[in-house]
Amino acid sequence: MADGGVRAPRNAKAIAFPARRRGLRDRAVLIASRVGASLLALALAAATAPALAQQDAKVFQFALENGLQVTVVPDHRAPVVTRMLLYRVGAADDPPGLSGLADFIQQAALNAGNATSSNNGARNCAFTTHDYTAFCQQIGKDRLRAVMSADADRLANLALSDRNVRDGADAVLADRRARVDGNPQALLREQMEAALFLSHPYGRPVTGWPEEVRHIGRIEAQAFYDRHYPPNNAYLVVAGDVTPDEARADAEATYGKLTAHELHPRAEFAQPPRLGETRLTVLRDDVRMPLLLRLYRVASYTEARPGEAEALQVLAQLLGGDPTSALYRELVIRRKLATETRAFYEGYARDDGEFGIFARAKPGVRPEVLQQAVDGIVSAAMQTVPRMADLERAKTQLVADAVYLHDDQISLASAYGQSLAIGLTAQDVEDWPNRIRAVSAEEVRKVAAGDVILREAVTGYLLPATQ
Amino acid sequence: MRHFHREGTKHTKWCGNSCSREVRARSAKGITAEAQRRREIAERLSAPWRLCGWLAFGATNFIIAGADFVVKWLFEAERCTKALIAALSCLAILTSSSAFALDVHTVNLAKGQQVWYVSDRSLPVIAMSAAIPAGSAYDPTGKPGLAAFAAALLDQGAGRLNADAFQTALANRAIRLSVSCSRDWLIVSLLTLTDNAKDAFHLLGQALSQPRFDADSVARTKEQILSRMTEDGARPDRVAADAFYGAFFHDHPYAHPISGNRAAVSAITAGDLKHFASAHWSGSGVRIAVSGDIDGPGLTVLLKSAFGRLALRNPPAIPTAMHEGGAGVRDVPVPGPKSVAAFGLPGVLSADRDYTAAYVANFILAGSLSSILAGRDRSSFDSEVSMQLITDRKAGFVLGEMTSQPSVMRKAITLLRGTLRDYAQDGLAQAQLDDAKAALTGAFPLAFDSDVATATHLNEYQRAGLGIDYVRKRNALISAVTLDQVKRAAKRLFNPSRLTVTIAEGQPPSRQSSAIDPQNR
Repeated sequence: MADGGVRAPRNAKAIAFPARRRGLRDRAVLIASRVGASLLALALAAATAPALAQQDAKVFQFALENGLQVTVVPDHRAPVVTRMLLYRVGAADDPPGLSGLADFIQQAALNAGNATSSNNGARNCAFTTHDYTAFCQQIGKDRLRAVMSADADRLANLALSDRNVRDGADAVLADRRARVDGNPQALLREQMEAALFLSHPYGRPVTGWPEEVRHIGRIEAQAFYDRHYPPNNAYLVVAGDVTPDEARADAEATYGKLTAHELHPRAEFAQPPRLGETRLTVLRDDVRMPLLLRLYRVASYTEARPGEAEALQVLAQLLGGDPTSALYRELVIRRKLATETRAFYEGYARDDGEFGIFARAKPGVRPEVLQQAVDGIVSAAMQTVPRMADLERAKTQLVADAVYLHDDQISLASAYGQSLAIGLTAQDVEDWPNRIRAVSAEEVRKVAAGDVILREAVTGYLLPATQ
Repeated sequence: MRHFHREGTKHTKWCGNSCSREVRARSAKGITAEAQRRREIAERLSAPWRLCGWLAFGATNFIIAGADFVVKWLFEAERCTKALIAALSCLAILTSSSAFALDVHTVNLAKGQQVWYVSDRSLPVIAMSAAIPAGSAYDPTGKPGLAAFAAALLDQGAGRLNADAFQTALANRAIRLSVSCSRDWLIVSLLTLTDNAKDAFHLLGQALSQPRFDADSVARTKEQILSRMTEDGARPDRVAADAFYGAFFHDHPYAHPISGNRAAVSAITAGDLKHFASAHWSGSGVRIAVSGDIDGPGLTVLLKSAFGRLALRNPPAIPTAMHEGGAGVRDVPVPGPKSVAAFGLPGVLSADRDYTAAYVANFILAGSLSSILAGRDRSSFDSEVSMQLITDRKAGFVLGEMTSQPSVMRKAITLLRGTLRDYAQDGLAQAQLDDAKAALTGAFPLAFDSDVATATHLNEYQRAGLGIDYVRKRNALISAVTLDQVKRAAKRLFNPSRLTVTIAEGQPPSRQSSAIDPQNR
């Protein structure tokens, strides 16, 4: 343990670790040690973080008798504990015709039992992705026990009545109205993802299509909940002012009482081939400035060959990570075509990831002109390796992100949680900075040429309706 | 390990000067509505900790916070946004149980400068939050938006470095510098690895004392501000907030939008910016909070390189807002399917004897999912409501926001009035007060869970004029509040006949969207 590694489970597991994946995904699990995880570096050490290397930065992992996988990340700087519980069920698991069901369950679970008390000041959050559902809670250590058992109870015994299912569906719809319908950029991205992923469920919005959300009934919701929410389908990440032994005792006293169920394999979906670029234009009354968004379907951290996902991460930083990136320098500073630019890689997914480029046009600039300029920058990245100074700066930024992320408990817990929930390991999280450092200029050029290609892309314009 | 030491039971008598905060510290505009909060949450929870230049990168968070669509965050404080933040900044320690206090130290710089710091060597990072009294309230007559414009240029070149060279110098060392502007303050946040701290503080020093305001940077930033303004014109939360401040503050310097208006910003010149910076980016009245891998002597050296070259010039006085409010409802049309109402009531200044009670009263009304408004919200408003107690330096007020569909907004406002009336008249039960105290005191340590959070919150207390012992006393203040005091404060605050409401009224969709091939348009 002195090397800051990940401790193996100390308990024999009564129930085997749930079978994670079938088919292609077994490959992903096998290569898990080679693939990456987010923004995180315990073993960052040497070059940039001597103080970090000196401290006992450790992660502890064990399983409860009921199969719940526990990861403890001690951080004793403040008397605060963050717990994040992640279920390996997400919007991709929504049954056909019932999109939004996983999100609905998350909202129902979050709202259950919250109505009577402000919970000793605990800060709660919950979110649903296509791959997993997470509940987190941050609380002062002196209040931990008071809140923890109630919380475990709430998640374990979600009671769904006709009434609260109807209310829950209304809440999901209201939430959609607030977040998506009134946000043209969100609508654009929803349309583009539907086009990007073709029949794969990543193309369905996490919040669901409203027509389908209205079809959610108590029976379907209960069946979904019963099937996907046993403790052996979950990961618990505890970060904060807690020792592994305390965390174990707390977890056993609360989540340990939940009963394991047999797990059904998750559905596997084809990621159909894309034979050509898709283009779409969304016109809206509530849009003022034309905006260009391009999304590419690319390899995720779970699918990528060694170094590929990391190279995509570096490429995103080089193209549009900050005001020293290629897009900003070229489009905003030099050619004065845009007021904002950005590139991003979202690689934490069980299936394909996304690479995105965003630009907001300056008044009077046509989106086609902006797009040509973007295409020019991307094709330059395909043909030419990045300058060494730019590459080093991009890597420095990413590696520092991993250190900064350690400053924030919720971010820390999410970094481990999101990786575990999609089948990566804690070791992947810790190795990430080293893998980023190892990315070469030629690898960056290679992913630009091989992954960020128009056949795998949707190009979207968001324009004022009056234009 | 940050030094938290335990304190015994303590009963402090009622003390007037208590919690206060500046919610909009990190916002470029009035009410920090949904989007701002979500952006913060997304920043906090999604990938890395990024403090990109707010202007250049802020809005892209819509897209980037895939959070909003790919991942969907739902904080418990969904409908009581600011109250949550308030709960975190408005700390308390429960008298009955053990109490924690942070070891906050001071460094003596120049006269009139206040420095608090917490030394914590466990991570190789240093976080600073610093405020200079150079917010939008200091905009000269006829030049609204000047302070925010100047703030946006703070990281756009200094000394011998032009904007790109300055950004490159920051990026090469992974230094996160972000700047924002509130009504009272220019707020600078800095996050750096210890190894790069010297460069980080030196670069900030250059930015503050030798800003360049190059013509191309000024032009580019102006485009960005105007572009943002255009976008915001279609956002009901922004429209409602701007209208509210205008109605509520009349001719007070708080009345105009922080970012000004299109005509004024278009007319601002590099000369105006230079003049503003040299007059207002002064060392006097600066409030600095630091947390992280540093000790007192080391910090003194760093701070001298950042702030030591600033002239010590007192800012002009801002008058206290005397006649807040303009009761009634005002409408402003906006496109889109949503309506947003901003509303408010005269409140209390942080020095007011009713302040802590008022804060607790607001928390019970609107501060959590178990709050009275949240309950109403669920059952009848068909809308989202949030309310917060704001204490700017020269005005205390209650500020709320309600999001609804246009067809039911009027009804929701009526319900809101009824809820306020009931609360002010019938008061509340002891159990509600006890629950609120448990929540407020329990949330205390959460405000110090990171170096960034510690620096941010300490700086909030400094801006509110609180003393360095505030963190230690906070518990007793909250715990000592009695039911009668809270009832009295509720009666004083929540008088529906004084309510000022501005509604950004959404329009029913006409031809909202269509998908066609741009080639065939």
